[in-house]
Amino acid sequence: MTLRSDHIAGGVFVAFGVFVFALSGDLPVGTLSFPGAGMMPKLVAGLLIFFALLLILRANESAPIATVPWGDLPHAVTVVAITAAAIALYQTLGFLVTMTLLLFALTFGAERRHSLAAAAFSIGVVALTYLLFAAALKTPLERGILGF
Amino acid sequence: MGTVESLLLGFSVALQPDVLWYAFLGCLVGTIVGVLPGIGPLSGISILLPATFGLDTTKSVVMLAGIYYGSQYGGSTTSILMRIPGEAASVMTCIDGYAMAQKGRAGAALCIAAVGSWIAGTFGVIMLTLIAPPLATFALRFGPPEYTALLVLGLIFLAYMSSTSLPRTLLMACFGLLLGTIGIDNMTGHFRYSFDIAELGDGIGIVPVAIGLFGLGEILSTPSASVVGKVIAPKLRQLLPSRREWRQSAMPIARGSVLGFLIGLTPGSAHIISSFLSYAIERRVSKHPEEFGKGAVAGVAGPESANNAASTGAFVPMLALGLPTGPITAVLIAALMIHGVPPGPTLVNEHPNVFWGFVASMYVGNLMLLALNLPLVGIFVNVLRIPYAYLYPLVIMFCIIGVYEVSHSIVDVWIMLIMGVIGYGLRKFGLDPAPLVLGLVIAPTLEMSLRQSLIMSNGNWAIFLERPISLVLLAVCAALLALAALSLMRSRKDWRSRLAEAEVGENQ
Repeated sequence: MTLRSDHIAGGVFVAFGVFVFALSGDLPVGTLSFPGAGMMPKLVAGLLIFFALLLILRANESAPIATVPWGDLPHAVTVVAITAAAIALYQTLGFLVTMTLLLFALTFGAERRHSLAAAAFSIGVVALTYLLFAAALKTPLERGILGF
Repeated sequence: MGTVESLLLGFSVALQPDVLWYAFLGCLVGTIVGVLPGIGPLSGISILLPATFGLDTTKSVVMLAGIYYGSQYGGSTTSILMRIPGEAASVMTCIDGYAMAQKGRAGAALCIAAVGSWIAGTFGVIMLTLIAPPLATFALRFGPPEYTALLVLGLIFLAYMSSTSLPRTLLMACFGLLLGTIGIDNMTGHFRYSFDIAELGDGIGIVPVAIGLFGLGEILSTPSASVVGKVIAPKLRQLLPSRREWRQSAMPIARGSVLGFLIGLTPGSAHIISSFLSYAIERRVSKHPEEFGKGAVAGVAGPESANNAASTGAFVPMLALGLPTGPITAVLIAALMIHGVPPGPTLVNEHPNVFWGFVASMYVGNLMLLALNLPLVGIFVNVLRIPYAYLYPLVIMFCIIGVYEVSHSIVDVWIMLIMGVIGYGLRKFGLDPAPLVLGLVIAPTLEMSLRQSLIMSNGNWAIFLERPISLVLLAVCAALLALAALSLMRSRKDWRSRLAEAEVGENQ
């Protein structure tokens, strides 16, 4: 049997539905005349598993998993890693420092642009955005432990 | 108050200088968002949402809606000049728009797209003016069973209209509904799936999910090396179409306007579906179908009119019933709620300034867009020259600001990142994220109305069949499911699967 993309997708959603059921153990379903907090999640989790099984049953209509292109994965992983680092630092370092580092890391680190061009772009854009939000939109952006 | 008096009240609001300014700002940002590939109207609206906190409700919603319908105008520029859809609804315009540009008719294609968009947009607003208030009055009869039936119908209609299969769409909607159950249960006070994270007590927000799935997810699956394109820059004097081109575009604009508005009323990515359907219809009714793909005027006029009429049509259920038909109207509803104005049947009577001011601003906004898109096309073309390697880091920065500023919660930004990764995965496996967002948005209302209905009837499910409005709505659900099951059993291709195939073919 050829493993197809819908086999994987359906399997993941069946597992997710089972996981939701496992997490919902202490949520009361209640009665039909007074449904509890667990009724809707369990009902929807059941439907999710049902549709995921349908997906697996009809998986022959989908492409073989080997043909799914993953050429963009390295780019995606790099962008996610840099963005995650920026989110982790955002409240500590504030908007100005974090976003300058984020833009520089993406343009110089991920996109291999010239370091000076990347630095000028990062500093210029972040400064302009900061001024735009603070002065024009009256929505000051996050300040870090350095006070700016 | 009659419709004319109400509309005059609306114009007295919409023509105030500061409201005009925010309408202009929304249209301008919308055009830029539409022009730039990779940034959709949803990202644009979400990013600017925090900037509207200091404004009053009318100015906020006028500006945010301007971004939505402005992006439909802007999307055509990139499609015609670069053969890259500025946003998803402009995919069909790429085919004949770019072919016209290669023949030296780029200016005429842009002008037909802009005029068609203006006519369709204005037609949509006229219909909105006429339909929304009586529909809102009718919706006042809705109780919990009717709302439950209406929301179930919305989901099933979305699945039926979807170009992917019914189980895939409903699977995604269920995933969204499950995410929508996170947080405190309003009826019993139970914490559900919040893992002791205080921020999850209020549930998962629409903005981080929508920006993550559509904004970040799109960036993750678009390496900068794959974004290349040559811009054809038309001169101002080449903008006027010939008399023959005007004649060829008249009927497609009329058909696209009506079709787009009707599809806009239904749940799903109406502005995208309407442009595909309009293209298919124009090719079918044309006396020269062989011209399609080689620069047919109708291939530009029809889809561009349809997507604009659809984006206006989507405001009818949003304003009259308080129901989102897609992620963009869901974020607009969130914007109204943030300002303490619940959209729905009471909006027209309790907040006439907001409702009629908004409607009137759309007449003005469509005129502004016509004036913006033609003479300033040269400026917008320059925006397209920004290399993608510099553009997407900028979008990521605005995604982070947009999500964080809504409630100053870093948890929301992490949710956005997780949703970005999920969105990337869903694209790989051919699953459409739009039903997920719709499921998330309607989950609280659906759960509340379902449980209220059962409490009202003392646990008797027959309540949904005993009330005429909910019975009719559920009968339509059953008919749609039966139609879908029939085509599944016969294993034959109906119009939806043919449309999906055409969509794949045209994108390649």
